Amino acid sequence: MNSKPFQSSLALHPLRAVRTDKPHGPARGLTPSTKARRPTPLWYALWLPQLSQQPAIDGSQQVRLEQIAASLGGLSATVSIEAPDSFLLEVGSTLRYFGGIEKIRTRLHALLEPLLHSWALPRHFHEAASPTPAASLLLARAACNLLVYRKENLRAALGRLPLHTLTLPERKKRQFHNSGLYILRDIWRLPSHAVAQRFGHAFIKQLEQSLGHVANPVQAYHSAPTFCSDLDCTYAIENKQALLPGVETLLERLCLFLHKRELAAMHLHMALVHEQQGRTEVEIMLRQPNRSYSHLQLLLETRLNAVVLPAPVIAMQLQVTQFAPFSSHNATLSGVPAPQEWGAGLNDLLPLLEQLQARLGNRAVRSIHCQDEHCPEQAGLDSPFGERMPTVIVPPSGSNEDAERPCWLLAKPIPLRQEAGRLFYYSSLRLISGPERIETHWWSPQEIQRDYYVARNRQGMRLWIFHERQASSQQETRGWFLHGIFA
Amino acid sequence: MPTPDPNQRLRSLLDSPNLWRGSEHYLAATTKTSSHFPGLPTGFAALDASLPWRGWPANALVEIITPLWGTGELQLVLPLLRRISMAGRSALWLSPPCIPYAPALASAGVDIARMIIVTPPAAEVLWSIEKALQDKACAVVLAWPGHLSGKHIRRLQLAALTGQTLGILFHHRNIRHSASVLRLRAQAEEDAMALTVLKARGSYRHDRIRLPWNCHE
Repeated sequence: MNSKPFQSSLALHPLRAVRTDKPHGPARGLTPSTKARRPTPLWYALWLPQLSQQPAIDGSQQVRLEQIAASLGGLSATVSIEAPDSFLLEVGSTLRYFGGIEKIRTRLHALLEPLLHSWALPRHFHEAASPTPAASLLLARAACNLLVYRKENLRAALGRLPLHTLTLPERKKRQFHNSGLYILRDIWRLPSHAVAQRFGHAFIKQLEQSLGHVANPVQAYHSAPTFCSDLDCTYAIENKQALLPGVETLLERLCLFLHKRELAAMHLHMALVHEQQGRTEVEIMLRQPNRSYSHLQLLLETRLNAVVLPAPVIAMQLQVTQFAPFSSHNATLSGVPAPQEWGAGLNDLLPLLEQLQARLGNRAVRSIHCQDEHCPEQAGLDSPFGERMPTVIVPPSGSNEDAERPCWLLAKPIPLRQEAGRLFYYSSLRLISGPERIETHWWSPQEIQRDYYVARNRQGMRLWIFHERQASSQQETRGWFLHGIFA
Repeated sequence: MPTPDPNQRLRSLLDSPNLWRGSEHYLAATTKTSSHFPGLPTGFAALDASLPWRGWPANALVEIITPLWGTGELQLVLPLLRRISMAGRSALWLSPPCIPYAPALASAGVDIARMIIVTPPAAEVLWSIEKALQDKACAVVLAWPGHLSGKHIRRLQLAALTGQTLGILFHHRNIRHSASVLRLRAQAEEDAMALTVLKARGSYRHDRIRLPWNCHE
């Protein structure tokens, strides 16, 4: 078998048509059949091993795969990415349009070679075409650049493939080797039920799929949707209120787009174009994908109200690149809405929170978390709302009866004033309980060694104070600090 | 058609929100809560008994006036927060003096996932409070508004009514003729929290209530 990798500088010969003898009818050359009413499927497989050999840097491989798939979309309606480094195109239906398989091949090379060149990758790749996607992939990945038009010829073409080129676990490959089976034809010589018994049904299915006896659905690649819409103003707008009709027109277009595609928007980008001073950019991140016109309008309006226009606006542009599939809310079976009084959860709160975020910024809306930590500063955390926290451990209610914690914890402990052996915070302090010793983080510079007490001042405030067990470098005495207020 | 029970008719008349009786407290203390005055239990039996709604007035604005932050004002609302968060509703904390400490709230039985903290810049605090109060999805809004005037309070009270939200404002100054429905002065004492009802709409009593620490349910 000639498994020499096909060099693109050679002529068309390496894509040989398999000529078989009778009884499979006359041999077919490279010209497509014009007699057939319905085009027989023909799957063109590409194998670009250089894509997966290059060490992938943070998802650049996926980006490259998608870029190639998107450019292949000009040649076929069905393009599929076969991870990690192969592609499938259905070209049977476009053969006539492009004028034959050779023309398609020329176009393919013209498309891919500049791309590969721009990534500094070797420009040659392997290709094969056959009536079934699985067979095309097998042939391409075995580096035999073959063209098979008819299903009947598949068996002959595949028969010479070495078994180690199949996508099989190493153990199975060894098993074949030890049984004296080297090429696919060796398998076909065996009774099929015995093969299934010895090597499993999954393997048999793989073979059947490549011969076209079993359906092999291919997941077509669709490029990510984008929405971008412009609107030119009839006159230069200085007043923010006068922008709103234009914003609403853009939003109507967006909502129509979302409804047609069954999508919901995640991230809105609005640009207000000024005559000379560039653009004002407005970004809105949504916590939950949304496609409701009224909600998006409210958010954009709130956001625009906070914007200062440096110059009159002559055009605006709305762009959305992040989408999520639309999912509607669940309805109750009986059609009666669930009781509202105590049933509303955090989801109902999202429109309000998004509105607040749109005006105040994402960091102004926060949620709080517990962490399983002895260090008081790290046991309670807060983060911008919507960010996932790694560990959230909520101690059961009342588990810490002896170790009471204050409701307000100061961001930084405040040194307490000491006079004549007494501590002061607004007024003199009296210790009511303690000490509770907390020592942790000895392995890091944030080491703490503290004795915590609960104290009360004359104003009735209950305070959480601590006494350092070791003097800090700045002071010679061990300090007293206020760390929390029980409120 | 059977003639209605005269007692029944009398009771429906007495239950009417248009009728206000000075003795209502004493009557209501012995009968069950009238449906015309929805209230959320405060978790303190003594406080419930002295308020016309048998608890916090739902859909209204409450002012809690303290001389300083941290004199026990949060202890007053912890039972309420526990109750609403367990019922799956949320509370918004608007510009609190400190970020609340999650372990303390969690050990008090509050579901901290339902507590949302909002820290707006000073100029946007009142706007945020109004928006939060107007929203029906939010059960309780705790707010530390800083400077307040009677005009602001009237507007926030209207927002609380629109959104059917209980708004609790914490501040230091007693504003006379404020439009809020309930105004309490809280003062920490040695062994108890001393509460003075400065105003409760629909009641003429100015009770002084002493709630010993850790006496809530």
